[in-house]
Amino acid sequence: MSIAEIESAELALESSTGGLWREAWFRLRRNPGAIVGAFFVLTFVVIAAFAPLIAPYDPTIVPTVLPETCCPGPSSAHWFGVNVIGQDTFSRVIYGARLSLVVGIVSVAVGLSVGMFLGAIAGYIGGFVDSVIMRCMDVLLAIPGLLLAIGIVALDLPFDRLYQLMIAIGVTNIPIFARLLRGSILAQRENDFVLAARSVGVKRPTILFSHILPNAMSPMIVQGTLALATAIIDVAALGFLGLGPQDPSTPEWGNMLADAQDYLSSQPLLAVFPGIAIVISVLGFNLIGDGMREALDPKLRGRA
Amino acid sequence: MGALERGCDGVSSNGSLVKLEDLRVWFPIKSGLVLDRHIGDIKAVDGVTMEIQRGETLGLVGESGCGKSTVGRAILRLYKPTGGRIEFAGQDITTLSEGELRPLRRQMQMVFQDPFASLNPRHSVGRIVGEPLRAHGLATRREAAGRVRELLQIVGLPADATSRYPHEFSGGQRQRIGLARALAVNPDFIVADEPVSALDVSIQAQIINLLERLQDEFDLTYLFIAHDLAVVRHISDRIAVMYLGMIVEVSPADELYENPLHPYTISLLSAVPIPDPEVELKRQPILLAGDLPSPANPPPACRFHTRCPYIQPTRCRDEVPELRKLAEGHTVACHWAEQIKAGEITPHEVDPVFDPGTMVPAYEPPPD
Repeated sequence: MSIAEIESAELALESSTGGLWREAWFRLRRNPGAIVGAFFVLTFVVIAAFAPLIAPYDPTIVPTVLPETCCPGPSSAHWFGVNVIGQDTFSRVIYGARLSLVVGIVSVAVGLSVGMFLGAIAGYIGGFVDSVIMRCMDVLLAIPGLLLAIGIVALDLPFDRLYQLMIAIGVTNIPIFARLLRGSILAQRENDFVLAARSVGVKRPTILFSHILPNAMSPMIVQGTLALATAIIDVAALGFLGLGPQDPSTPEWGNMLADAQDYLSSQPLLAVFPGIAIVISVLGFNLIGDGMREALDPKLRGRA
Repeated sequence: MGALERGCDGVSSNGSLVKLEDLRVWFPIKSGLVLDRHIGDIKAVDGVTMEIQRGETLGLVGESGCGKSTVGRAILRLYKPTGGRIEFAGQDITTLSEGELRPLRRQMQMVFQDPFASLNPRHSVGRIVGEPLRAHGLATRREAAGRVRELLQIVGLPADATSRYPHEFSGGQRQRIGLARALAVNPDFIVADEPVSALDVSIQAQIINLLERLQDEFDLTYLFIAHDLAVVRHISDRIAVMYLGMIVEVSPADELYENPLHPYTISLLSAVPIPDPEVELKRQPILLAGDLPSPANPPPACRFHTRCPYIQPTRCRDEVPELRKLAEGHTVACHWAEQIKAGEITPHEVDPVFDPGTMVPAYEPPPD
């Protein structure tokens, strides 16, 4: 048997593992952190999606008869207790998940798509265009994210406050994604297989879309997941600062924390439940993001 | 087998396929925040003139960083030449646009050094090998699949490799995939850029033999870039030796090894160990002093003069040596080649006189 024959025989014995995406998925499934994260995120998403079915009360309704003492703690009727004006905290936390998730996803989508567009142009065209785009991104990055978001909400654009939130948080994400994608495009552009595609005569757009971008996507996916976590915190922070939804009765986690602030010494439980909700959802996205970073890192391949 | 049997006589005179005239490829060194300032050039290739005959294998050797890969890539117009002329199959391709080049790319292909970096890890082997067919619109989906299987068979891979991904293959197998891709469009000319230097020795022989078989089967012309002198001697008909962006010696393969004329070639060959302990003990290798000078600021006149063990007080430091023909098919760029050959000049200690440490702008761009 020649070496080549042995090699091909060995090759036949190995089972096909499929593409890199599939391999990454296998690795992700073996990462306990990612599993826990996925569990948190899944719970969060299910709660957000089915909020009206899960919540026992209307979160915005104010009961006509207030309890005799302020803010009774958890009971069988009100699992998380009620707030100062008698609203059911459990229902408010559940509806809050909905708002956080929607604003988070839309704002990350805005940041991701605009950032990807700018980053792809900068990275692939290069030269002067690259310099101009990246210097603008540097300016945006020089302003702290939350401050930038506050500034944009303070502009009071002629949209509903909810859309303003999405735009504000989305814009703070743009430079992060643009820089990331530009960096990985620059790294991929010099790869031998890109040179090979050029020498074969593949057209420039095809090279960008079928060779460079797919290989530059991994860090974007990881960053996207982590950005969701940050976006949820940003929504809560803006809500806490009074820049959340215009109607103060809208259930929003940051809002709820701000309301609880005045009663923190006497009624600490008011702040605990929305706080836990924020922590768990952010932790979930962070765990998944870290798991994906490990799963998609080609250097860690084979270590499972 | 071809190369050894054909020897130097085998170079048939059926015309040159590739012709380089004073080819220069300089990479600008830039700095600046928004507007880039041109502060110098890396002169990777600086005045290369050579021809590659149809059907031959031209070996291109030289140490790392001497510009040999850049020559190969410039011929395929993967780099834009700074000056000079590239002719392919009688056509001047120096300034052709990417669109004008596309049909020509079917005739010239490349095999890369690193079998891990040269295949897109996210594409299946079938997609990789079929890519040239798709790029040139040469086959329908079904025809392409058949052609891909045929190509895999030609390079000695199982047909079911089509649906697998590059990381499932060993280095040698990946290099075969790269070869199959290069062969897909039936090229005339292949630039093999150190195709075996990343492989184990046992696998190297397989790939070399495969390259030779394919050359016979498909009438290929190779530019074989390498730094392994034994491999180059085995596969090449003629060999060009490069030093710091310039060709210093061109000769039929065996002639070069038996009768090296340029001091650089002499010292390169003297560094090759001889697999005979007695000879090896007596041998006096010439050790080159110093490092390869920076191509951003190459030494004037003869570029090798800073390290040359045969350096003479005259000419070497102030006169650029032309490539001169000293024997049939054997050209050398050294003022003193005859005297060195005759033994009138002997090697001596070299004190590296040229200091490549400071970088001064080697080239001021004309104001435009």
